[in-house]
Amino acid sequence: MNSIDPRVHQALDGEIPREALPPALRRVAERLESAAALLAAAPEGRSVADRVLARLHRHAHSPVRRLARWLTAPHPVTLRIRPVWSLALAASLVLLMLLPEERSTPVLGEHEGIAQFVARFPGAHSVQVVGSFNDWRTGTIPLEDRDGDGVWRAVVVLPAGAHEYMFVVDDERWVPDYSANRFVEDDFGRENSVLIVRPVKG
Amino acid sequence: MDVREGPSDAEVVARVLGGDREAFGLIVRRYESGLLRFATRVLGGRDAAADAVAESLVRAYRHLASCRDPTRLRTWLYRIVANRCKSHLARRATGDVSLDDAPPIADPTDNEAALERVEQLAVVEQALATLSSEKREAFVLKHVEGMSYQEMAAVTGERIPTLKMRVHRAREALLKALEDRS
Repeated sequence: MNSIDPRVHQALDGEIPREALPPALRRVAERLESAAALLAAAPEGRSVADRVLARLHRHAHSPVRRLARWLTAPHPVTLRIRPVWSLALAASLVLLMLLPEERSTPVLGEHEGIAQFVARFPGAHSVQVVGSFNDWRTGTIPLEDRDGDGVWRAVVVLPAGAHEYMFVVDDERWVPDYSANRFVEDDFGRENSVLIVRPVKG
Repeated sequence: MDVREGPSDAEVVARVLGGDREAFGLIVRRYESGLLRFATRVLGGRDAAADAVAESLVRAYRHLASCRDPTRLRTWLYRIVANRCKSHLARRATGDVSLDDAPPIADPTDNEAALERVEQLAVVEQALATLSSEKREAFVLKHVEGMSYQEMAAVTGERIPTLKMRVHRAREALLKALEDRS
């Protein structure tokens, strides 16, 4: 490989003025700069704007997303119940309250498992978990610190398999779970924690 | 209209995160030409570059909340595209680029100087394609996209001395490849 005089590199890096180069070295710098100028001026191809915006539009209007938005958005609900039905409803509620607590355990599907997230963030006002399982959306899985000891917990049902995730502390700090057994670098150069959820009915 | 006019990146990001999905179009139009140019040079093909950039921008939208410093949105977007390009090249099993797209066709109304430019561009593209993907990326970020070493470090995740050495070697390799073709 041809070795370039260090002064050419210095000039191209803006460390010394171009005028400080002797003519032969200046020609080397100009050769490289004109090559770069040709590459910079060449047409870069078709715009991808329409393609990207169409995909965002589809993403936002998928039936699953519409349902999720409808379920999470507040709606005014008016219930009109006849007296006889209201008595029946009250009786049902009393029955439900008297049922053993085991009945409230979520019913897991064949390919689902239980994931427990535990993180220690003393002094945090809020902690939530985001990951591949909730499309990295905040505001969906909050952790709780009921006794105020700085240890935050959440138990959720997730599809079996590997999931990448991070904690979001106080709505702004994205922090990996350092107690995870596996990590993977994402497209943004950060380390995501990896959680393996095993099916309960495996 | 110059898309660099108007609201700042931080303002646009805040609008998108506030639910104004259409505002993301402003980000796309503001940066797509640079991102396409960068990906085309690194991947060596316009179709592959368009795929990489489109995919990167969709990912950027979905993960916009994790962009910690919206004032540095540009380097954040380049970083996503750089990583997409690396994945693309890894799938190709070799870092070599294939100049699979047709070279730019000169318009019949072009004058001789324009035709000569097209030929010169083809020579430079072929010379650039002989560099390793790391050197190609370093040269393009530095000299085609005009980034500082600090910005390049934010895009690539590499240290500045490593990048300086890589740019120096890329210049030497490119110069040799150009001389071989002249």
